[in-house]
Parts: sequence; structure tokens; C-alpha cells
Amino acid sequence: MARGILQASIQNRGLVLDPRTKLVMLFDIALFVLGSAGGGSVEPLVPILCAMPAVLMLSAKKWKGAATYLLVYLLSWLTYTQLVPLTKGAVNFILLGCSGMLSRFLPGIAMGGYLVSTTTVSEFTAVMLRLHLSEKIIIPLSVMFRFFPTVMDEAASINAAMRMRGIYMGGKNVGKMLEYRLVPLMTCCVKIGEELSAAALTRGLGGEAKRTNICKIGFHIQDYLLFVVCLIPYAVWIMGRVL
Amino acid sequence: MIEIKKVSFQHENAEKPSLKNVSLTIAEGECVLLCGESGSGKTTVTRLINGLIPHFYEGKMEGCAMVNGLNVTEAELYDTARIVGSVFQNPRSQFFCVDTTSELAFGCENMGMLEDEILSRVDEAARELNIEKLLGRSIFELSGGEKQKISCASVSALRPEVMVLDEPTSNLDVHAIEELKQTLLGWKAEGKTIVIAEHRLSWLRDLCDRVICMKDGQVAFDLSMQAFAQYSTEQLHQMGLRSLRDEKIAPVQNSVPETETMQLQNFCFSYDGTPVLNIPHLSLPLDGIIALVGPNGAGKSTFSRCLCGLEKKFKGQVKINGQLWKNKQLLKNCYMVMQDVNHQLFCETVADEVQLGMRSENSSDVERVLEMLDLSHLRERHPMSLSGGQKQRVAIASAILAGKEILIFDEPTSGLDFRHMEQTAALLSSLKGNQTVLIVTHDPELIQRCCDHIVCIENGTVI
Amino acid sequence: MKNNQKLKGKDLINIGIYAAIYCVLMTCISMLGYIPIMMPMLTVIVPIILGVPMMLFYTKVKKFGMITIMATIVGIYLCVTGMGFWPILFGVVFGFLADLIAKSGSYASGKKSILSYGTFCVLLFGNYLPLYIDREGYFSTRQSFGAEYINTLGNIMQPWTAPVLIIAAFVCGMLGALLGKALLKKHFVKAGIV
Repeated sequence: MARGILQASIQNRGLVLDPRTKLVMLFDIALFVLGSAGGGSVEPLVPILCAMPAVLMLSAKKWKGAATYLLVYLLSWLTYTQLVPLTKGAVNFILLGCSGMLSRFLPGIAMGGYLVSTTTVSEFTAVMLRLHLSEKIIIPLSVMFRFFPTVMDEAASINAAMRMRGIYMGGKNVGKMLEYRLVPLMTCCVKIGEELSAAALTRGLGGEAKRTNICKIGFHIQDYLLFVVCLIPYAVWIMGRVL
Repeated sequence: MIEIKKVSFQHENAEKPSLKNVSLTIAEGECVLLCGESGSGKTTVTRLINGLIPHFYEGKMEGCAMVNGLNVTEAELYDTARIVGSVFQNPRSQFFCVDTTSELAFGCENMGMLEDEILSRVDEAARELNIEKLLGRSIFELSGGEKQKISCASVSALRPEVMVLDEPTSNLDVHAIEELKQTLLGWKAEGKTIVIAEHRLSWLRDLCDRVICMKDGQVAFDLSMQAFAQYSTEQLHQMGLRSLRDEKIAPVQNSVPETETMQLQNFCFSYDGTPVLNIPHLSLPLDGIIALVGPNGAGKSTFSRCLCGLEKKFKGQVKINGQLWKNKQLLKNCYMVMQDVNHQLFCETVADEVQLGMRSENSSDVERVLEMLDLSHLRERHPMSLSGGQKQRVAIASAILAGKEILIFDEPTSGLDFRHMEQTAALLSSLKGNQTVLIVTHDPELIQRCCDHIVCIENGTVI
Repeated sequence: MKNNQKLKGKDLINIGIYAAIYCVLMTCISMLGYIPIMMPMLTVIVPIILGVPMMLFYTKVKKFGMITIMATIVGIYLCVTGMGFWPILFGVVFGFLADLIAKSGSYASGKKSILSYGTFCVLLFGNYLPLYIDREGYFSTRQSFGAEYINTLGNIMQPWTAPVLIIAAFVCGMLGALLGKALLKKHFVKAGIV
């Protein structure tokens, strides 16, 4: 999963949304589904918000992601509403905990998954620039997203080395396993990181000049449509308060 | 153009200074080769020119370096970046963005140039290096040679007057080196000053006009390329330098003796539906040293991974001494010494390291193997604190003690100078007769020294 | 070398690299969290394991602001991957506090860095905050499920578990820091990375 973070391929990604639209949608879900703001009046709208990640994933041709999300969400929702009232005691306790938390967290996680798998690092950087965030946040963040695949690659190599040596996960020595993994991982990442810094600094990163960005982002009709969807819960919420 | 004035430098944690009172002047438009053994100070000189010393790699420094009138020892790195461009050894770790177009624009973005200006510069750099078709791609999909071209183009877009390259070919195949040479010839024609620190010399013969050889932090000699070319290969080797002539990969003896072979069957593999390896059948001599050559991205590493049993979906098998090995047995009997050995060292001491994964405790075996690989005196050291060659030997020791029959080396000599390359060759030769050794390499000098069989892979098949 | 207190390119890149290691490891561990009952356990496991990279990070921290930025970035990452916007706020606040603590030990004191990392870990609680705030509002919409149901749900998300989670994160953070220090001494110092 981490490999896919902000590494969207530029070709063939279906309907393109401005990253800001995706962020607004994410906030909506965080606020109304995860945070259940707005109480009873917004309640009927929650299923629509929950369906949004699936719809968006479909629009971006992420068939698998959409299907998995829908399936898991429906399962947990059915458990939550149908199965839980039928059970008692410990089973009830566990089922309720699982399905309750899942159905609240899952839409946000799915939306996050959609956001990071359909956006590129340069788009994300461009958005942060537009939002007038400080360079001190933007530079580390873009390094971080650049570095994800590297960390995954290194971890995969270490894993392969461990398998060849016949060292497997689990067994008696959890602590040792952790040590064997973490220590080489850190060593390699630190080394590569140093080379990366050197290469970036010799091309002038961290200078006094204000950085520019050539990535083009902008709003289209699909963005405006989604904004309207995002605004509805707020409208209902305010109306509920006023009336 | 470049003036280094009486510079001495010692890295923060180093015991010895890496440069001792070095003075150098390089004129505008010159193309200079810096050579010398590892640790002789040639990389340090490149870092002086691009300002990484003393701004990034800290230590005790005396003297200063001037480039085009700018004191780069004093100036901030981002000011130096306007006049000095740098290309480094490892194409994997020197890009900052994840797609090629942004990478080309990266330097210009840092300078805060206007968008149109950047776009036109990116286009121009791409045209110059003939990489228009690489624009807009994810860098992670590119081969090593393509990545190196992108980093050259990215530097080029800033239009610096001086180019500094630190071992740019360590990870490149013959074809990619030739392309890099074309790029450098282009820069030279534009009148840029070029400084290259490099072990492999043959590709620079028609490119550089001056050779500076470093030894123990001082300039050993400073000659024109014409004079340098007079040295015989033996003389170069004595100075610890690699050959200046093109070493052809001579087909060593390709007939496989019928008796002692292992049969590789159905070595086919694909990633996400794209076939990358398709070798229905292959015989390899048992207990020999086999070189595995071929261009970047031909399927060599997939082949090695399959042979090691690391690909779970791999269906092929190896017939050896009447036994049939599938994935599980391959994993048990084969071992790969990776290019970055750091991935496979886990323990706190060398002694622990080589015993990890041993099937039975047998201290006399441990002694014997440590002795054989000249590691006995290092047994209490931390593996990560050793030199590259020593780490490689620790990895080999652990493989032998774990009872591995087939050892695979991934680029064991990339970035090594002549002396270390020869040591590695001797080490690999010493394994002959006990283990079957496969070496994935681009290094003709290594093949010449120790291999007795060559397999060439291209487009996923043996040719 | 230079005692320049301003953050430079090198420092910012360092933050990014360690943030990447941090977030990848956190994501891997969080996969356990898909068994939802494990979720509260994450405030225990994540701080302990991530103590190792963070202690290495602390050896690179010499200037004020680095820890604050690190925590903010972790918060942004959590937010972008769908954990709501509280982690960002928690990141800024607790990162800042952690930074102050480390600064009071001039970024060299071992004890202060352990305490500082413990504080840093509290930001993870930002993930769970939505489960605690607006409990009344949340339950009022669920009246139809019956009293027993609300009781059970209330039992899981008792308000007192909130401070328990915070303290768990803090204490486990300090344990993780100790573990990290031990590994640092055992491996990284010998290997010459620090």
C-alpha cells in the first residue's frame, strides 16, 4: 500500500480531480462520518458520503479498490445493524467494537487511499504551495513521499536476504526479528538519504529564492460538482441548527 | 576556471586526512579525468568543487576552492549550484522527484525561475540529451542508464559552466556508458569545463584532455591524455589503475562438459503479465565460475532471484546430481551476495553473523572458514563497521557455513578500483571447485580474470 | 560547524527521510489495526517500535523546530490517509512540546530526549479523539438501537479510556526510546552511523 502513495501513473487515470477537491472531500468524511458532527439532521446523508470513495475510485478506474471497499464496508455495516442486536455478552462486545469502529474509520481510510493513489507528488506539492504552506513543511513532505518507495525497496531486499539465510518471522524471538529488520533498514536508508541530500543540495535546494512549481492544477466542472456534494451536509447541519 | 588553493581536509570521524595541501588549476573548457585508488582523495576533490565540502560533509579544512571567481568554500551551496552541476555514482539515490519532467525542472524551481523559462529549459535539455520520450514518466520505471541520463539533463537545465561527475558509470552497462560519453562530448563542445572522478578509464580515452592521478591525498601526477595514453596496461595496474584500453568480453570456453552439469528447466517468469524471463532449458557447469552478462533490464536480476527461490510464483526447477530442486530447496541451497551487502548483515559481531543460519553448531568449521576468508582477526568487530570488501567476505562466509551450494554475486565489483577488483577476482577464484559461482556483472576485467563460462541474457532469453 | 539556528536544506531533507521511515513502519504496523480491536493497542506497539528510528533521528536534531515539523508531517500523513484532521493539531501541539523538552536539554541530554519522544507519541491519540468527543450527539442518533446496545458501546469507549490511551502512548514512547537508545549503542555507534 505504501508503495502506491502519491505515485500515481500519469497516463490512464480516468477522471482527474484537483487535489484540493479530494482534500475537501476527505475533510467532509472525517468531519461527518468519523467525527459524526451535525448529529441527527446530517445522519441520513452519511450513507451518501460513505459511498463517495467507491464512486471516486470507480471514476479513476480503480476497480479492485472500489470493490474491496464496498464489500468490507457493507459487511461491517450489516454486522453493525443486523447481527449485533442479535448477540449477547462477549460476542456482542467484540462484534460491536469491530464493526462499529470499522464502519466509522473505513470511509476515511478509503478516501485517503483514493487521494494518495491518484495524486502525484508534484501535484501535491503544487497544492501545498497554493495553500501558502511554509517551505519548511513542503520540502520535508516531498522528500517523504519521494522516499516511500525507497524504504519499501530496502525493506524488500532485507526480507529477501533474511529468507535466504533461513530467518523467518515469528517463532521464539520476536525481539531479535525486529532488530534484524530495523538495523539494516535504518543503515541503508540513512546512507541513501545522505546521497539524496547531496544530490538535492547541489541543485540548489534550500536557497533563499522562492521556489516555483511547473505543475498545473486547476478546477474543472467535476470539481465544482463535487464541491456542491461536499457542501450539502454543512447546509443541512446549519439548517438543522436554525430551525 | 577552477582553482584549488592549498587545501587540506580531514573528515569529522576519519583517522587520516583525505587531502594534504593540494593545489590545482583547471582552465575553462578543459575536460579533466581524476583517477587513483579508492580513498586516494579524488572524490574529495570533486566535493571541494561543488561545495559539498565543507558545507555538507563536515570536517577540518584549510585553504579554499574558487570556481569562476566565486569562493565555493565560503559561498552557500545554492549559490554554487548556479555555476557547478554535479552527477553522482548511484542513479537510484540522486533524484528528488518521482516523475521525470519535475526532476528536470527541479533545479530551476529551486532558483525560483519563471514557469515559462523553466519549461523552455526543460524542453531544451531533453532535446539536447535525446530523452524527449522519457518525459512525463515515473522515474521508478526507468533503467539505470535512463536514470543517469535524467540526472545529467536535470543538471544541464540549470546551465552551469562547470560539470562535476563522481564515478558516474559504476552502475551502468556498456551501452549506457557509450550514451553518457555522447552527452559529455556534447557538453564539451559547448565549452563547459568537465571534471570526472572515475575508476573505469577506457571510455574516457577520447574525451578527456588531461589526467590527474591522486595518491594518499596528494597529486601523484598531472599529465595530458596523450602522455597518459603512453603508459602500458601493466604500468597502470601497478599504479592501481584500471586498463585504458577497451577490454572485450572474450568468450572463454563455452562448451559444457557433459558429466558435471546442472540443468535449469522452465526458467520463465513474468511480472503482472509482462514476461521478463523465458529460458526453457539451460545447462551450467557444476562447480564452475559463470559470468552472467547482458544489458541493464535484460532479466539478469530476475534470473538470479528465481534461482535463489525468492520468487514465490516461480515454477521452474534445477536438476543437480540427480536431485530435483524446486523453490524451497533453491532457497535452502542458493545464496545471493547483493550489490549492497548492507542488506544482509544483521548481527552484532562477525562471529555471530557467520553462525546465524548455520544448521549445526560446529566451531571448527567456523574457524576454518574465517581463516580461509581472512576474517579471523575481525571476528569481534561489528559487520557494519567493516570496509566494503570485508563485508562481502563476511556475507560469503555466512553462505558457506549455511551449506549453500550455489552462490550468486550481484555486481561484486561495481565502483571498485583495480586492486580491490583483483582481490575480489582472487576471492571468487578460490571458491572454485567447492561452490558453483554465478556472477552478474558488467565488468570485463573481472570476467577476464576469473570466469570460465559466460551466459549472456538479453530480452529475457539466453543468446 | 556553524551554530546557525536557522533550519537549512540538509535539516529539512533529514526530517523528510526519517518521516518516511516513520510513516512506512507505522503503516505496516497499522495493518494489524485492521483487526479493529487491536486499534487501541497501536498506541502501545507503534511508540515502542518507532522508538528505534526516532532515537536515530534525535541524534541529528540540533536545532529548534525539527521535532515540531516532524510531528506535524506525521500528523498530515495520518490525515491524508484518512484519520481525520485531529492528528495534525495534535502533531503541532505535542511536537512543539517535545521540541521544547529536547531544547531544554540542548538536544544532547539522553533523559530529555526520552521524555521528549514520550511527549511526541501522544500525537497518536489524535487518531482516536473522534471516538470520544461528541459522545452525546453520537448516541442520540443511535437511540433506535435500544438501551443495551448503547450501554455496550459506551463500555468500549468509556471516557476513562482516553487518559489511559494517552498515558499508554507516553509511557510506551519512553520505553521505545530506551529500546532505541539500547540498539543505537549496540549497533549504530559501532557501525559508525551516529
